[in-house]
Amino acid sequence: MPSDSDLAVKVEDLWIRYRTSYEANQTLKGAVLKLGKRSERRKKSVRVVEAVKDVSFDVHNGTVLGIVGANGAGKSTLMRAVAGILPPTEGRITVNGRVSTLLALGVGFNAMLSGRENIMLGCLAAGLEMDEIQDKYDQITEFADLGDFIDLPMRTYSSGMYGRLAFAVSVHMDPDILLIDEALSAGDAAFKEKSFSKMRELCEQARTILIVSHALGTIQELCTDAIWMHKGELVRQGTPEQITEDYLRFLKVGESALTLEDV
Amino acid sequence: MTTAASARRSEFESSIQVFEPHRASLPPVRPYLREFWRRRRFAYELSRTTQKAANFDSPIGSVWLVLNPLLLAFVYFLLIEVISGGAKRPAGWSSFLHIVIGLFTWTLVASCMSVGATSVTAGGKLILNQSFPRALLPFSSVITSLMNYWPTIPVYLVMYGLGLVLLPHVPPGQGSTGLVGPTWALLWHPVLVALLVITGYGLAMIFSTMTVYFRDTTKFLSYVLRIWLYLSPVLYPVSAMVDKYEKVWPPLGKIMIYGNPLGPVLGVMNDIWIEGVSPSPALLAGAILWAAFLLLFGGWFFVSRERDFAVRL
Repeated sequence: MPSDSDLAVKVEDLWIRYRTSYEANQTLKGAVLKLGKRSERRKKSVRVVEAVKDVSFDVHNGTVLGIVGANGAGKSTLMRAVAGILPPTEGRITVNGRVSTLLALGVGFNAMLSGRENIMLGCLAAGLEMDEIQDKYDQITEFADLGDFIDLPMRTYSSGMYGRLAFAVSVHMDPDILLIDEALSAGDAAFKEKSFSKMRELCEQARTILIVSHALGTIQELCTDAIWMHKGELVRQGTPEQITEDYLRFLKVGESALTLEDV
Repeated sequence: MTTAASARRSEFESSIQVFEPHRASLPPVRPYLREFWRRRRFAYELSRTTQKAANFDSPIGSVWLVLNPLLLAFVYFLLIEVISGGAKRPAGWSSFLHIVIGLFTWTLVASCMSVGATSVTAGGKLILNQSFPRALLPFSSVITSLMNYWPTIPVYLVMYGLGLVLLPHVPPGQGSTGLVGPTWALLWHPVLVALLVITGYGLAMIFSTMTVYFRDTTKFLSYVLRIWLYLSPVLYPVSAMVDKYEKVWPPLGKIMIYGNPLGPVLGVMNDIWIEGVSPSPALLAGAILWAAFLLLFGGWFFVSRERDFAVRL
Protein backbone atom coordinates (compact mmCIF):
# COMPACT_ATOMS: atom_id res chain seq x y z
CA MET A 1 0.00 0.00 0.00
CA PRO A 2 1.65 3.27 -1.06
CA SER A 3 2.04 5.89 1.61
CA ASP A 4 0.16 9.16 1.75
CA SER A 5 3.17 11.11 0.54
CA ASP A 6 2.79 9.35 -2.78
CA LEU A 7 -0.63 10.85 -3.29
CA ALA A 8 -1.18 13.58 -5.86
CA VAL A 9 -4.82 14.20 -5.05
CA LYS A 10 -6.77 13.09 -2.02
CA VAL A 11 -10.49 13.72 -1.96
CA GLU A 12 -12.22 13.03 1.34
CA ASP A 13 -15.97 12.99 1.89
CA LEU A 14 -16.47 15.74 -0.66
CA TRP A 15 -19.85 17.40 -0.97
CA ILE A 16 -20.54 20.28 -3.28
CA ARG A 17 -23.87 21.98 -3.14
CA TYR A 18 -24.88 25.16 -4.73
CA ARG A 19 -28.01 27.17 -4.80
CA THR A 20 -29.44 27.97 -8.15
CA SER A 21 -32.06 30.53 -8.72
CA TYR A 22 -34.88 30.17 -11.21
CA GLU A 23 -34.46 33.83 -11.95
CA ALA A 24 -31.80 34.26 -14.58
CA ASN A 25 -29.74 36.60 -12.49
CA GLN A 26 -30.51 38.23 -9.24
CA THR A 27 -30.92 41.96 -9.49
CA LEU A 28 -30.66 44.74 -6.99
CA LYS A 29 -34.11 45.83 -8.07
CA GLY A 30 -35.47 42.33 -7.43
CA ALA A 31 -33.83 42.19 -4.01
CA VAL A 32 -35.37 45.53 -3.03
CA LEU A 33 -38.80 44.52 -4.26
CA LYS A 34 -38.61 41.23 -2.37
CA LEU A 35 -37.63 42.82 0.93
CA GLY A 36 -41.22 42.89 2.20
CA LYS A 37 -42.27 39.41 1.22
CA ARG A 38 -39.40 37.19 2.13
CA SER A 39 -40.31 33.67 3.00
CA GLU A 40 -42.47 31.80 0.51
CA ARG A 41 -41.66 33.19 -2.85
CA ARG A 42 -38.00 33.18 -2.03
CA LYS A 43 -37.95 29.53 -1.11
CA LYS A 44 -39.66 28.63 -4.33
CA SER A 45 -37.22 30.45 -6.57
CA VAL A 46 -34.12 28.85 -5.06
CA ARG A 47 -33.17 25.22 -5.48
CA VAL A 48 -30.19 23.51 -3.94
CA VAL A 49 -28.26 21.36 -6.38
CA GLU A 50 -26.13 18.61 -4.93
CA ALA A 51 -23.53 18.29 -7.63
CA VAL A 52 -21.12 16.04 -5.75
CA LYS A 53 -22.29 13.78 -2.93
CA ASP A 54 -19.92 12.25 -0.45
CA VAL A 55 -17.15 11.39 -2.88
CA SER A 56 -13.82 10.06 -1.66
CA PHE A 57 -10.91 8.78 -3.70
CA ASP A 58 -7.15 8.91 -3.89
CA VAL A 59 -4.99 9.51 -6.92
CA HIS A 60 -1.37 8.41 -6.79
CA ASN A 61 1.47 10.12 -8.56
CA GLY A 62 1.81 9.07 -12.16
CA THR A 63 -1.75 7.84 -12.41
CA VAL A 64 -3.94 8.71 -15.34
CA LEU A 65 -7.39 8.70 -13.86
CA GLY A 66 -10.35 8.54 -16.19
CA ILE A 67 -13.70 9.84 -15.00
CA VAL A 68 -16.79 8.61 -16.79
CA GLY A 69 -20.44 9.25 -16.21
CA ALA A 70 -23.61 10.52 -17.81
CA ASN A 71 -24.33 14.22 -18.21
CA GLY A 72 -24.97 15.89 -14.89
CA ALA A 73 -22.95 13.34 -12.96
CA GLY A 74 -20.84 16.06 -11.36
CA LYS A 75 -17.65 15.30 -13.25
CA SER A 76 -16.90 18.87 -14.26
CA THR A 77 -17.79 20.18 -10.82
CA LEU A 78 -15.39 17.67 -9.31
CA MET A 79 -12.63 18.81 -11.67
CA ARG A 80 -13.19 22.45 -10.78
CA ALA A 81 -13.04 21.59 -7.10
CA VAL A 82 -9.72 19.79 -7.55
CA ALA A 83 -8.44 22.83 -9.44
CA GLY A 84 -9.36 25.02 -6.48
CA ILE A 85 -11.91 26.98 -8.48
CA LEU A 86 -15.00 25.79 -6.64
CA PRO A 87 -14.79 25.54 -2.87
CA PRO A 88 -16.07 22.31 -1.26
CA THR A 89 -19.25 22.56 0.76
CA GLU A 90 -18.12 19.73 2.99
CA GLY A 91 -15.10 17.49 3.07
CA ARG A 92 -11.60 18.17 1.99
CA ILE A 93 -9.38 18.04 -1.06
CA THR A 94 -5.63 17.85 -0.73
CA VAL A 95 -3.64 18.56 -3.84
CA ASN A 96 0.09 18.01 -3.93
CA GLY A 97 1.66 20.02 -6.72
CA ARG A 98 1.00 22.52 -9.41
CA VAL A 99 -2.30 22.09 -11.17
CA SER A 100 -2.94 23.00 -14.78
CA THR A 101 -6.46 22.94 -16.08
CA LEU A 102 -7.94 22.29 -19.46
CA LEU A 103 -11.61 22.55 -18.73
CA ALA A 104 -14.63 22.44 -20.96
CA LEU A 105 -14.76 26.13 -21.78
CA GLY A 106 -11.21 26.22 -23.05
CA VAL A 107 -8.66 28.32 -21.28
CA GLY A 108 -9.88 31.81 -20.39
CA PHE A 109 -9.37 32.94 -23.90
CA ASN A 110 -10.50 36.31 -25.12
CA ALA A 111 -11.65 35.89 -28.70
CA MET A 112 -10.71 39.45 -29.63
CA LEU A 113 -7.06 38.86 -28.83
CA SER A 114 -4.50 36.92 -30.84
CA GLY A 115 -3.38 33.45 -29.89
CA ARG A 116 -0.03 34.91 -28.87
CA GLU A 117 -1.63 37.33 -26.39
CA ASN A 118 -3.90 34.65 -25.02
CA ILE A 119 -0.96 32.34 -24.40
CA MET A 120 0.76 35.11 -22.51
CA LEU A 121 -2.32 35.91 -20.41
CA GLY A 122 -2.92 32.24 -19.65
CA CYS A 123 0.67 31.73 -18.53
CA LEU A 124 0.68 34.91 -16.45
CA ALA A 125 -2.55 33.96 -14.70
CA ALA A 126 -0.99 30.60 -13.91
CA GLY A 127 1.82 32.45 -12.18
CA LEU A 128 4.68 32.04 -14.64
CA GLU A 129 7.34 34.71 -14.93
CA MET A 130 7.82 36.69 -18.11
CA ASP A 131 11.15 35.02 -18.98
CA GLU A 132 9.69 31.56 -18.38
CA ILE A 133 6.90 32.45 -20.77
CA GLN A 134 9.38 33.39 -23.49
CA ASP A 135 10.78 29.85 -23.27
CA LYS A 136 7.37 28.23 -23.13
CA TYR A 137 6.05 30.29 -25.94
CA ASP A 138 8.02 28.56 -28.69
CA GLN A 139 7.19 25.12 -27.34
CA ILE A 140 3.50 25.97 -27.21
CA THR A 141 3.29 27.42 -30.71
CA GLU A 142 5.27 24.56 -32.14
CA PHE A 143 3.05 22.01 -30.44
CA ALA A 144 -0.20 23.72 -31.41
CA ASP A 145 1.13 24.14 -34.97
CA LEU A 146 -1.23 26.92 -35.97
CA GLY A 147 1.07 28.68 -38.43
CA ASP A 148 0.20 32.30 -39.13
CA PHE A 149 -3.00 32.05 -37.17
CA ILE A 150 -1.07 32.53 -33.95
CA ASP A 151 -1.02 36.29 -34.56
CA LEU A 152 -4.65 36.56 -35.62
CA PRO A 153 -7.53 37.21 -33.23
CA MET A 154 -8.92 33.99 -31.84
CA ARG A 155 -12.37 34.74 -33.20
CA THR A 156 -10.93 33.67 -36.57
CA TYR A 157 -10.01 30.21 -35.24
CA SER A 158 -11.85 27.03 -35.97
CA SER A 159 -12.94 25.06 -32.91
CA GLY A 160 -10.24 22.49 -33.64
CA MET A 161 -7.55 25.18 -33.61
CA TYR A 162 -9.02 26.56 -30.41
CA GLY A 163 -8.81 23.17 -28.77
CA ARG A 164 -5.28 22.58 -29.99
CA LEU A 165 -4.06 25.85 -28.57
CA ALA A 166 -5.82 25.22 -25.27
CA PHE A 167 -4.28 21.79 -24.99
CA ALA A 168 -0.83 23.06 -25.91
CA VAL A 169 -1.00 25.77 -23.24
CA SER A 170 -2.12 23.49 -20.46
CA VAL A 171 0.44 20.71 -21.06
CA HIS A 172 3.31 23.17 -21.28
CA MET A 173 2.65 24.75 -17.91
CA ASP A 174 4.85 22.04 -16.32
CA PRO A 175 1.88 20.79 -14.35
CA ASP A 176 2.26 18.18 -11.66
CA ILE A 177 -1.40 17.51 -12.05
CA LEU A 178 -3.18 18.07 -15.33
CA LEU A 179 -6.96 18.25 -15.41
CA ILE A 180 -8.57 17.65 -18.79
CA ASP A 181 -12.28 18.00 -19.28
CA GLU A 182 -13.72 16.91 -22.62
CA ALA A 183 -11.10 18.70 -24.59
CA LEU A 184 -9.53 15.98 -26.65
CA SER A 185 -12.33 15.66 -29.12
CA ALA A 186 -11.49 18.93 -30.82
CA GLY A 187 -8.31 18.04 -32.67
CA ASP A 188 -7.96 15.92 -35.78
CA ALA A 189 -6.52 12.42 -35.75
CA ALA A 190 -2.92 13.59 -36.13
CA PHE A 191 -3.23 16.04 -33.27
CA LYS A 192 -4.95 13.43 -31.14
CA GLU A 193 -2.01 11.09 -31.58
CA LYS A 194 0.36 13.91 -30.70
CA SER A 195 -1.60 14.82 -27.59
CA PHE A 196 -1.75 11.19 -26.46
CA SER A 197 1.99 10.81 -26.72
CA LYS A 198 2.49 14.08 -24.87
CA MET A 199 0.26 12.83 -22.07
CA ARG A 200 2.14 9.54 -21.88
CA GLU A 201 5.35 11.51 -21.67
CA LEU A 202 3.93 13.49 -18.74
CA CYS A 203 2.92 10.27 -17.00
CA GLU A 204 6.39 8.84 -17.38
CA GLN A 205 7.65 11.86 -15.48
CA ALA A 206 5.39 10.73 -12.63
CA ARG A 207 2.93 13.47 -13.28
CA THR A 208 -0.70 12.90 -12.72
CA ILE A 209 -3.55 13.38 -15.12
CA LEU A 210 -7.29 13.43 -14.53
CA ILE A 211 -9.39 13.06 -17.66
CA VAL A 212 -13.10 13.49 -18.03
CA SER A 213 -14.28 12.01 -21.28
CA HIS A 214 -17.25 10.46 -22.96
CA ALA A 215 -14.94 8.78 -25.44
CA LEU A 216 -14.51 5.45 -23.69
CA GLY A 217 -11.83 4.46 -26.18
CA THR A 218 -9.71 7.33 -24.91
CA ILE A 219 -10.21 6.22 -21.35
CA GLN A 220 -9.18 2.67 -22.12
CA GLU A 221 -6.21 3.70 -24.18
CA LEU A 222 -4.74 6.26 -21.82
CA CYS A 223 -5.85 5.63 -18.29
CA THR A 224 -4.40 3.43 -15.60
CA ASP A 225 -7.30 3.91 -13.22
CA ALA A 226 -10.89 5.01 -13.59
CA ILE A 227 -13.89 6.11 -11.62
CA TRP A 228 -17.53 6.20 -12.61
CA MET A 229 -19.80 8.86 -11.29
CA HIS A 230 -23.55 8.98 -11.43
CA LYS A 231 -25.77 11.81 -10.17
CA GLY A 232 -23.05 13.19 -7.96
CA GLU A 233 -22.10 9.89 -6.39
CA LEU A 234 -19.05 7.79 -7.00
CA VAL A 235 -20.41 4.48 -8.20
CA ARG A 236 -17.23 2.52 -8.62
CA GLN A 237 -13.47 2.80 -8.90
CA GLY A 238 -11.45 0.24 -10.80
CA THR A 239 -9.37 -0.55 -13.85
CA PRO A 240 -10.34 1.37 -17.00
CA GLU A 241 -11.46 -1.83 -18.75
CA GLN A 242 -13.70 -2.87 -15.91
CA ILE A 243 -15.20 0.58 -15.41
CA THR A 244 -15.91 1.23 -19.07
CA GLU A 245 -17.46 -2.20 -19.39
CA ASP A 246 -19.70 -1.60 -16.38
CA TYR A 247 -20.56 1.86 -17.60
CA LEU A 248 -21.46 0.61 -21.07
CA ARG A 249 -23.66 -2.09 -19.62
CA PHE A 250 -25.33 0.53 -17.48
CA LEU A 251 -25.95 2.75 -20.49
CA LYS A 252 -27.66 -0.13 -22.28
CA VAL A 253 -29.68 -1.48 -19.42
CA GLY A 254 -30.42 1.80 -17.71
CA GLU A 255 -30.69 2.54 -14.07
CA SER A 256 -31.53 -1.02 -13.04
CA ALA A 257 -27.96 -2.14 -13.68
CA LEU A 258 -26.86 -0.05 -10.76
CA THR A 259 -29.13 -1.80 -8.33
CA LEU A 260 -28.58 -5.25 -9.79
CA GLU A 261 -24.82 -4.98 -9.53
CA ASP A 262 -25.02 -3.77 -5.99
CA VAL A 263 -26.94 -6.77 -4.75
CA MET B 1 9.28 7.13 -8.99
CA THR B 2 12.44 8.34 -10.69
CA THR B 3 14.97 10.30 -8.72
CA ALA B 4 14.33 13.40 -10.78
CA ALA B 5 10.66 13.16 -10.05
CA SER B 6 11.21 12.65 -6.36
CA ALA B 7 13.54 15.64 -6.27
CA ARG B 8 10.87 17.64 -7.96
CA ARG B 9 8.34 16.28 -5.53
CA SER B 10 10.29 17.45 -2.53
CA GLU B 11 10.72 20.83 -4.15
CA PHE B 12 6.96 20.99 -4.40
CA GLU B 13 6.48 19.70 -0.88
CA SER B 14 5.52 23.21 0.12
CA SER B 15 3.00 23.44 -2.67
CA ILE B 16 0.47 21.16 -1.04
CA GLN B 17 -2.87 22.85 -1.23
CA VAL B 18 -5.84 21.94 0.87
CA PHE B 19 -9.29 23.03 -0.18
CA GLU B 20 -11.80 23.02 2.61
CA PRO B 21 -15.23 24.51 3.18
CA HIS B 22 -15.30 28.10 4.20
CA ARG B 23 -17.70 30.57 5.61
CA ALA B 24 -17.48 34.17 4.50
CA SER B 25 -13.96 34.50 5.78
CA LEU B 26 -10.60 35.45 4.43
CA PRO B 27 -8.22 32.89 2.96
CA PRO B 28 -4.73 32.96 4.51
CA VAL B 29 -3.73 36.55 3.86
CA ARG B 30 0.01 36.21 3.41
CA PRO B 31 -0.01 33.51 0.68
CA TYR B 32 -2.82 35.41 -1.00
CA LEU B 33 -0.79 38.60 -1.15
CA ARG B 34 2.27 36.68 -2.30
CA GLU B 35 0.35 35.08 -5.16
CA PHE B 36 -1.18 38.44 -5.97
CA TRP B 37 2.21 40.11 -6.17
CA ARG B 38 3.67 37.27 -8.21
CA ARG B 39 0.96 37.76 -10.83
CA ARG B 40 0.96 41.56 -10.91
CA ARG B 41 2.20 41.42 -14.47
CA PHE B 42 -0.95 39.53 -15.37
CA ALA B 43 -3.12 42.45 -14.22
CA TYR B 44 -1.06 44.81 -16.33
CA GLU B 45 -1.16 42.65 -19.44
CA LEU B 46 -4.86 41.96 -19.01
CA SER B 47 -5.50 45.70 -18.88
CA ARG B 48 -3.28 46.39 -21.88
CA THR B 49 -4.69 43.66 -24.09
CA THR B 50 -8.31 44.41 -23.14
CA GLN B 51 -7.77 48.04 -24.03
CA LYS B 52 -6.23 46.92 -27.28
CA ALA B 53 -9.14 44.64 -28.07
CA ALA B 54 -11.51 47.56 -27.50
CA ASN B 55 -9.37 49.70 -29.81
CA PHE B 56 -8.68 52.19 -27.08
CA ASP B 57 -4.99 52.05 -27.83
CA SER B 58 -5.52 53.70 -31.21
CA PRO B 59 -4.82 57.46 -31.43
CA ILE B 60 -8.52 58.22 -31.95
CA GLY B 61 -9.44 56.07 -28.96
CA SER B 62 -7.16 57.96 -26.61
CA VAL B 63 -8.26 61.32 -28.03
CA TRP B 64 -11.77 60.43 -26.97
CA LEU B 65 -10.64 59.48 -23.50
CA VAL B 66 -9.32 63.03 -23.03
CA LEU B 67 -11.98 64.80 -25.03
CA ASN B 68 -14.85 63.28 -23.10
CA PRO B 69 -14.10 64.83 -19.67
CA LEU B 70 -13.01 68.01 -21.40
CA LEU B 71 -16.32 68.45 -23.21
CA LEU B 72 -18.12 67.53 -20.02
CA ALA B 73 -16.15 70.22 -18.20
CA PHE B 74 -17.22 72.72 -20.83
CA VAL B 75 -20.87 71.77 -20.40
CA TYR B 76 -20.69 72.13 -16.63
CA PHE B 77 -18.81 75.39 -17.01
CA LEU B 78 -21.61 76.74 -19.17
CA LEU B 79 -24.20 75.53 -16.71
CA ILE B 80 -22.53 77.06 -13.70
CA GLU B 81 -20.97 80.23 -15.02
CA VAL B 82 -23.29 81.28 -17.77
CA ILE B 83 -26.75 79.95 -17.08
CA SER B 84 -26.75 80.27 -13.31
CA GLY B 85 -24.85 83.56 -13.66
CA GLY B 86 -21.71 82.85 -11.67
CA ALA B 87 -20.98 86.54 -11.22
CA LYS B 88 -19.42 85.95 -7.84
CA ARG B 89 -16.28 84.63 -9.42
CA PRO B 90 -14.66 87.06 -11.81
CA ALA B 91 -12.03 84.80 -13.31
CA GLY B 92 -14.00 82.59 -15.64
CA TRP B 93 -10.97 80.76 -16.96
CA SER B 94 -9.80 80.02 -13.44
CA SER B 95 -13.08 78.43 -12.52
CA PHE B 96 -13.05 76.52 -15.82
CA LEU B 97 -9.62 75.22 -14.86
CA HIS B 98 -10.98 74.22 -11.49
CA ILE B 99 -13.78 72.25 -13.10
CA VAL B 100 -11.39 70.60 -15.55
CA ILE B 101 -8.88 69.43 -12.94
CA GLY B 102 -11.77 68.32 -10.77
CA LEU B 103 -13.38 66.35 -13.58
CA PHE B 104 -10.12 64.77 -14.72
CA THR B 105 -9.52 63.67 -11.15
CA TRP B 106 -13.08 62.54 -10.73
CA THR B 107 -12.96 60.58 -13.99
CA LEU B 108 -10.00 58.58 -12.72
CA VAL B 109 -11.95 57.28 -9.73
CA ALA B 110 -15.27 57.01 -11.56
CA SER B 111 -13.57 54.93 -14.23
CA CYS B 112 -12.04 52.66 -11.58
CA MET B 113 -15.57 52.11 -10.31
CA SER B 114 -17.39 51.62 -13.58
CA VAL B 115 -14.71 49.54 -15.34
CA GLY B 116 -13.99 47.72 -12.10
CA ALA B 117 -17.65 46.92 -11.49
CA THR B 118 -17.76 44.59 -14.50
CA SER B 119 -14.24 43.23 -14.11
CA VAL B 120 -15.27 40.04 -12.35
CA THR B 121 -18.33 39.28 -14.45
CA ALA B 122 -16.37 40.01 -17.65
CA GLY B 123 -13.56 37.71 -16.49
CA GLY B 124 -16.02 34.88 -16.01
CA LYS B 125 -14.28 32.47 -18.37
CA LEU B 126 -10.97 33.07 -16.71
CA ILE B 127 -12.48 32.57 -13.27
CA LEU B 128 -14.16 29.30 -14.22
CA ASN B 129 -10.97 27.91 -15.70
CA GLN B 130 -8.11 29.02 -13.57
CA SER B 131 -7.42 29.52 -9.94
CA PHE B 132 -5.67 32.80 -9.15
CA PRO B 133 -6.24 35.69 -6.74
CA ARG B 134 -9.40 37.23 -8.11
CA ALA B 135 -8.52 40.64 -6.71
CA LEU B 136 -6.24 40.95 -9.74
CA LEU B 137 -9.28 41.55 -11.94
CA PRO B 138 -10.43 44.84 -10.34
CA PHE B 139 -6.77 45.74 -9.99
CA SER B 140 -6.44 45.41 -13.73
CA SER B 141 -9.36 47.84 -14.15
CA VAL B 142 -7.56 50.32 -11.93
CA ILE B 143 -4.50 50.04 -14.16
CA THR B 144 -6.72 50.70 -17.18
CA SER B 145 -8.17 53.78 -15.51
CA LEU B 146 -4.73 55.05 -14.58
CA MET B 147 -3.46 54.53 -18.12
CA ASN B 148 -6.41 56.57 -19.38
CA TYR B 149 -5.69 59.25 -16.82
CA TRP B 150 -2.09 59.99 -17.85
CA PRO B 151 -2.93 61.66 -21.19
CA THR B 152 -5.21 64.14 -19.41
CA ILE B 153 -2.28 65.65 -17.51
CA PRO B 154 -0.49 67.22 -20.50
CA VAL B 155 -3.84 68.48 -21.73
CA TYR B 156 -4.43 70.16 -18.43
CA LEU B 157 -0.92 71.59 -18.42
CA VAL B 158 -1.54 73.24 -21.80
CA MET B 159 -4.74 74.83 -20.53
CA TYR B 160 -2.96 75.89 -17.37
CA GLY B 161 -0.19 77.42 -19.48
CA LEU B 162 -2.77 79.34 -21.54
CA GLY B 163 -4.25 80.64 -18.31
CA LEU B 164 -0.83 81.84 -17.20
CA VAL B 165 -0.51 83.90 -20.35
CA LEU B 166 -4.02 85.30 -20.36
CA LEU B 167 -4.97 85.81 -16.75
CA PRO B 168 -3.78 88.20 -14.06
CA HIS B 169 -1.52 86.54 -11.57
CA VAL B 170 -2.59 86.48 -7.96
CA PRO B 171 -0.71 85.35 -4.87
CA PRO B 172 -1.25 81.81 -3.53
CA GLY B 173 -4.46 81.29 -1.61
CA GLN B 174 -6.57 83.60 -3.77
CA GLY B 175 -7.27 81.24 -6.62
CA SER B 176 -10.87 82.36 -6.89
CA THR B 177 -9.86 85.84 -8.07
CA GLY B 178 -7.31 84.93 -10.73
CA LEU B 179 -4.69 82.38 -11.55
CA VAL B 180 -1.97 81.43 -9.13
CA GLY B 181 1.20 80.48 -10.97
CA PRO B 182 2.81 77.09 -10.44
CA THR B 183 4.11 76.61 -6.92
CA TRP B 184 6.06 73.86 -5.17
CA ALA B 185 2.72 72.58 -3.88
CA LEU B 186 2.27 70.86 -7.26
CA LEU B 187 4.83 68.30 -6.14
CA TRP B 188 2.02 66.82 -4.07
CA HIS B 189 0.29 65.70 -7.25
CA PRO B 190 1.83 62.19 -7.46
CA VAL B 191 0.92 61.59 -3.82
CA LEU B 192 -2.67 62.53 -4.56
CA VAL B 193 -2.79 60.28 -7.62
CA ALA B 194 -1.59 57.42 -5.42
CA LEU B 195 -4.36 58.17 -2.93
CA LEU B 196 -6.92 58.32 -5.73
CA VAL B 197 -5.76 54.98 -7.12
CA ILE B 198 -5.99 53.32 -3.71
CA THR B 199 -9.43 54.79 -3.14
CA GLY B 200 -10.50 53.71 -6.62
CA TYR B 201 -9.22 50.18 -6.08
CA GLY B 202 -11.17 49.87 -2.85
CA LEU B 203 -14.34 51.07 -4.56
CA ALA B 204 -13.72 48.84 -7.59
CA MET B 205 -13.52 45.79 -5.33
CA ILE B 206 -16.76 46.74 -3.59
CA PHE B 207 -18.71 47.32 -6.80
CA SER B 208 -17.31 44.31 -8.66
CA THR B 209 -18.40 42.06 -5.79
CA MET B 210 -21.85 43.63 -5.82
CA THR B 211 -22.10 43.08 -9.58
CA VAL B 212 -21.53 39.35 -9.09
CA TYR B 213 -24.53 39.15 -6.78
CA PHE B 214 -26.70 41.78 -8.44
CA ARG B 215 -26.12 42.08 -12.16
CA ASP B 216 -27.92 45.40 -12.42
CA THR B 217 -25.44 47.14 -10.13
CA THR B 218 -23.80 48.79 -13.13
CA LYS B 219 -27.08 50.40 -14.10
CA PHE B 220 -27.49 51.86 -10.64
CA LEU B 221 -23.87 52.84 -10.64
CA SER B 222 -24.25 55.36 -13.45
CA TYR B 223 -26.85 57.24 -11.37
CA VAL B 224 -24.87 56.87 -8.20
CA LEU B 225 -21.85 58.33 -9.95
CA ARG B 226 -23.84 61.26 -11.33
CA ILE B 227 -25.29 62.19 -7.95
CA TRP B 228 -21.96 61.60 -6.25
CA LEU B 229 -20.36 64.02 -8.70
CA TYR B 230 -22.87 66.75 -7.84
CA LEU B 231 -22.29 66.21 -4.11
CA SER B 232 -18.52 66.39 -4.50
CA PRO B 233 -16.38 69.52 -4.64
CA VAL B 234 -15.78 69.14 -8.37
CA LEU B 235 -18.00 71.82 -9.85
CA TYR B 236 -17.64 74.11 -6.81
CA PRO B 237 -14.59 74.61 -4.65
CA VAL B 238 -14.65 73.21 -1.13
CA SER B 239 -15.07 76.63 0.45
CA ALA B 240 -18.15 77.43 -1.64
CA MET B 241 -19.70 74.05 -0.77
CA VAL B 242 -19.02 74.45 2.92
CA ASP B 243 -20.55 77.96 2.91
CA LYS B 244 -23.63 76.72 1.13
CA TYR B 245 -24.33 73.78 3.44
CA GLU B 246 -23.42 75.64 6.62
CA LYS B 247 -26.27 77.99 5.91
CA VAL B 248 -28.61 75.03 6.15
CA TRP B 249 -27.11 73.54 9.28
CA PRO B 250 -23.65 74.53 10.58
CA PRO B 251 -22.07 71.04 10.93
CA LEU B 252 -23.43 70.00 7.55
CA GLY B 253 -20.63 71.72 5.63
CA LYS B 254 -17.94 69.55 7.21
CA ILE B 255 -20.10 66.44 6.97
CA MET B 256 -20.61 66.94 3.25
CA ILE B 257 -16.86 67.22 2.65
CA TYR B 258 -15.47 64.66 5.08
CA GLY B 259 -18.34 62.21 4.79
CA ASN B 260 -17.69 61.91 1.06
CA PRO B 261 -14.88 59.42 0.30
CA LEU B 262 -13.68 61.71 -2.47
CA GLY B 263 -14.40 65.05 -0.77
CA PRO B 264 -11.07 65.51 0.98
CA VAL B 265 -8.89 64.36 -1.91
CA LEU B 266 -10.71 66.60 -4.39
CA GLY B 267 -10.30 69.46 -1.93
CA VAL B 268 -6.57 68.86 -1.78
CA MET B 269 -6.41 68.75 -5.57
CA ASN B 270 -8.02 72.18 -5.59
CA ASP B 271 -5.55 73.39 -2.95
CA ILE B 272 -2.47 72.58 -4.97
CA TRP B 273 -3.67 73.38 -8.50
CA ILE B 274 -6.01 76.32 -8.06
CA GLU B 275 -5.01 77.94 -4.79
CA GLY B 276 -1.32 77.09 -5.15
CA VAL B 277 -0.97 76.24 -1.48
CA SER B 278 0.18 73.12 0.34
CA PRO B 279 -2.63 70.72 1.18
CA SER B 280 -4.61 71.63 4.27
CA PRO B 281 -3.65 69.03 6.90
CA ALA B 282 -7.26 68.20 7.75
CA LEU B 283 -8.19 67.50 4.14
CA LEU B 284 -5.02 65.49 3.57
CA ALA B 285 -5.66 63.41 6.67
CA GLY B 286 -9.23 62.85 5.52
CA ALA B 287 -8.03 61.72 2.10
CA ILE B 288 -5.51 59.29 3.59
CA LEU B 289 -8.03 57.84 6.03
CA TRP B 290 -10.64 57.31 3.34
CA ALA B 291 -8.12 55.64 1.02
CA ALA B 292 -6.90 53.32 3.78
CA PHE B 293 -10.41 52.49 4.94
CA LEU B 294 -11.72 51.76 1.44
CA LEU B 295 -8.71 49.61 0.54
CA LEU B 296 -9.09 47.51 3.70
CA PHE B 297 -12.86 47.31 3.64
CA GLY B 298 -13.05 46.73 -0.11
CA GLY B 299 -10.29 44.13 0.13
CA TRP B 300 -12.07 42.28 2.91
CA PHE B 301 -15.44 42.54 1.15
CA PHE B 302 -14.02 41.16 -2.10
CA VAL B 303 -11.54 38.55 -0.92
CA SER B 304 -13.85 37.02 1.67
CA ARG B 305 -16.40 36.39 -1.09
CA GLU B 306 -14.22 35.61 -4.06
CA ARG B 307 -14.30 31.84 -3.62
CA ASP B 308 -18.02 32.10 -4.09
CA PHE B 309 -17.66 33.79 -7.49
CA ALA B 310 -17.18 30.61 -9.52
CA VAL B 311 -20.54 29.36 -8.27
CA ARG B 312 -22.29 32.61 -9.01
CA LEU B 313 -21.03 33.27 -12.51
